[in-house]
Amino acid sequence: MSSNIGHITQVIGSTFDVEFAEDSLPAIYNAVKIESDKNGVKLNLTGEVQQHLGSGRVRCVALGSTDGLIRGLECKDTGAPVTVPVGPETVGRVFNLLGEPIDNRGPVKAKAFSPIHRDAPKIADLSTKTEVFETGIKVIDLLTPFVRGGKAGLFGGAGLGKTVIIQELIARIASAHGGYSVFAGVGERTREGNDLWLELQEAAIGQTGKHVIDQTCMVFGQMNEPPGARLRVALSALTMAEYFRDQSGMDVLLFVDNIFRFSQAGSEVSALLGRMPSAVGYQPTLASEMGALQERITSTDKGAITSVQAVYVPADDPTDPAPATAFGQLDAFVYLERAISEKGIYPAVDPLASSSRVLDPQYVGEEHYQCARRVQSTLQRYRELQDIIAILGVDELSEADKLVVHRARRMERFLSQPFLVAEAFTGKKGEITPLKETIRSFNEIYEGKWDHLPESAFMYVGGIEQAAEQAERMEAAAKK
Amino acid sequence: MAKTKTLNKRRQSIRSIRKITRTMELISTACYRGAMDRAMSAMAYTDRLTNMVRNLASSGAEVSHPLLVPHAETKTVQLLVLTSNRGLCGGYNGGILRRAVRRWNEMTGKVTDAAEQKVENALLDVAGKRGISYFNFRKVKPTETYTQFEDKPSWDEVEVIANRYLEEYLTGKIDRLEIVYTKFYSMSKQAVVHETLLPLTELGSDDDAKKSGTDNNFSAEYDFLPSAESILKEIVPASFKTKLFKCFLDAAVCEQIARMVAMKAATENADAMIQTLTMAVNRSRQSQITGELTELIGGVEALK
Repeated sequence: MSSNIGHITQVIGSTFDVEFAEDSLPAIYNAVKIESDKNGVKLNLTGEVQQHLGSGRVRCVALGSTDGLIRGLECKDTGAPVTVPVGPETVGRVFNLLGEPIDNRGPVKAKAFSPIHRDAPKIADLSTKTEVFETGIKVIDLLTPFVRGGKAGLFGGAGLGKTVIIQELIARIASAHGGYSVFAGVGERTREGNDLWLELQEAAIGQTGKHVIDQTCMVFGQMNEPPGARLRVALSALTMAEYFRDQSGMDVLLFVDNIFRFSQAGSEVSALLGRMPSAVGYQPTLASEMGALQERITSTDKGAITSVQAVYVPADDPTDPAPATAFGQLDAFVYLERAISEKGIYPAVDPLASSSRVLDPQYVGEEHYQCARRVQSTLQRYRELQDIIAILGVDELSEADKLVVHRARRMERFLSQPFLVAEAFTGKKGEITPLKETIRSFNEIYEGKWDHLPESAFMYVGGIEQAAEQAERMEAAAKK
Repeated sequence: MAKTKTLNKRRQSIRSIRKITRTMELISTACYRGAMDRAMSAMAYTDRLTNMVRNLASSGAEVSHPLLVPHAETKTVQLLVLTSNRGLCGGYNGGILRRAVRRWNEMTGKVTDAAEQKVENALLDVAGKRGISYFNFRKVKPTETYTQFEDKPSWDEVEVIANRYLEEYLTGKIDRLEIVYTKFYSMSKQAVVHETLLPLTELGSDDDAKKSGTDNNFSAEYDFLPSAESILKEIVPASFKTKLFKCFLDAAVCEQIARMVAMKAATENADAMIQTLTMAVNRSRQSQITGELTELIGGVEALK
């Protein structure tokens, strides 16, 4: 390749300007490389062209640290966007956004490479199948059923357990799932990424003798990375997942933790690029960036990508533009609520704010739908009554309302569930509750069959019979 | 921002609730005085009358009155439950109804380990809308319901009921009359009680006897004129009526006291809630303004 070389004219934080010959400007999104060893500082930096400024100058986003970058350094246009290795060689490995392995296991001998910038699948290629995806988590299966080949979002403020739920889903789904999984760590804690990596090495897939990591590739661009890296890491992971979908035709799982960091990195970059900020200081291109990413995470007639994304909600305010933009893209919407986590109920899913596109008798069946709506209406009524109870006391309620409150409190607690990944903390074995049992249990609570059990018996159990057992144990313990 | 609006709306509704609870508190304070005066004046009369009947019954062993004698067999038991017509009185009705339902379940044999045997024929009368709707919800049908008793139960109204019970007892339609209501002891002490009004022998409970016994230690010698029988005939039904009337009066006072206490607590709760909500409203309003300002300034800066 004839090398097209320019020189750095300006460095602003994690963006820099490069001057090329006017007739050989690199295209937007092209990767540019800087390699130097000046003044004893080794530099190997990749940047991505974002703007053409005129008179041969281009503005680039650094995809790594710009420490030691100085004006006048040579900068080479690679002639293509960033490409990452794809294919079966990538499974079991951990990458950074440039597709370089970071797990110290030697180079990846991939046969295929793919650019991280691509168009979304054509409208005619999209799959129209709608099938419910069972997770064994009661609250999710009942109220926000996931879609096979669809997208699910876990929304929640800081410390409500988004990452735990993602890890739980990996433990539940990936270990039962035969196909490939891709995990993208976007701007979250490096420690969590490391924990997950170690955990996947231990977790076995069914009885196959394989470990989850053997079917998974992981891509990390965590908190410590510059904004450019966090902005592109989701695309790198997605590119790998897309390859599995298009070439192997298998169902692929894509986990992203945390998609908000993608928007946040975009906002940082946008400010450095000198774009005018829009609502709440976000980049004006917030919606199109999110759209470009989310539209690619989709199922085609070749294969399906089922994705679960964690979305941080800043200041517990779901109207914030970043989570609000992500919201519209999803099939299932799981909202974690602080008030519920404060009651000690985990997963802290808000049963009224959460929803799913497939919670419709057409997809889940009449019985499931009715059960979910009954649970929601009971909890809704309870929430409406809460102010009155707080002021006047429960005695002022009518008899019918008292019964609603009685059952709603039990349902609320029954929505909690012990997790597989939290066994070490709760001391309780994780519970996988089949959907059928979940529906039956909630119907029975609604009908009043379990009114006699104390509220605390409903905490952290699987099926309803376990609540009865727990009540017996509690009674026995109290007698002692 | 949508949040400010919903918070404001909620605060407004709690303000309206507070207005109601505050008003109810004032009203019940006013009502309570009148009700207590009536109950206190009736108390002296009732005590005296009860005493007299007890003394008469014990002194003249050879004379008797049908109301003083328990029926040979207790087949039909009438339960009368006094609740309030209106709500907003805290645990007042809840307490009464819990006690009443316990007794009712014993009577109808729903509780197997009950102290008392199931009675053959259990009848239920309920006064007060709260109790009526409660039993309706439980699918228990009362024989008779009364809703005419407000905070000033009148003697005439109570007498009608008393007469009916007297007649039913005398004709053997009922073998016992029991009542569940809230007894008024003092401003700071009221308790839900379950008493037997008919037959009257079981009327004077032990502490009542002790209390009245102090000033009646000397065993009174009565001269009956024209005859013991004719006096008992007058005085025994009168005693029952006043006793029943007293129950209604007590219930009225206790309702007002319960309402006063409950509404005071409710007003305080509402105050605390308004305070936290006001804080939340202000905070969200302020952050909204701050956000808009920074955006404005940022926009201006960017346009420079």
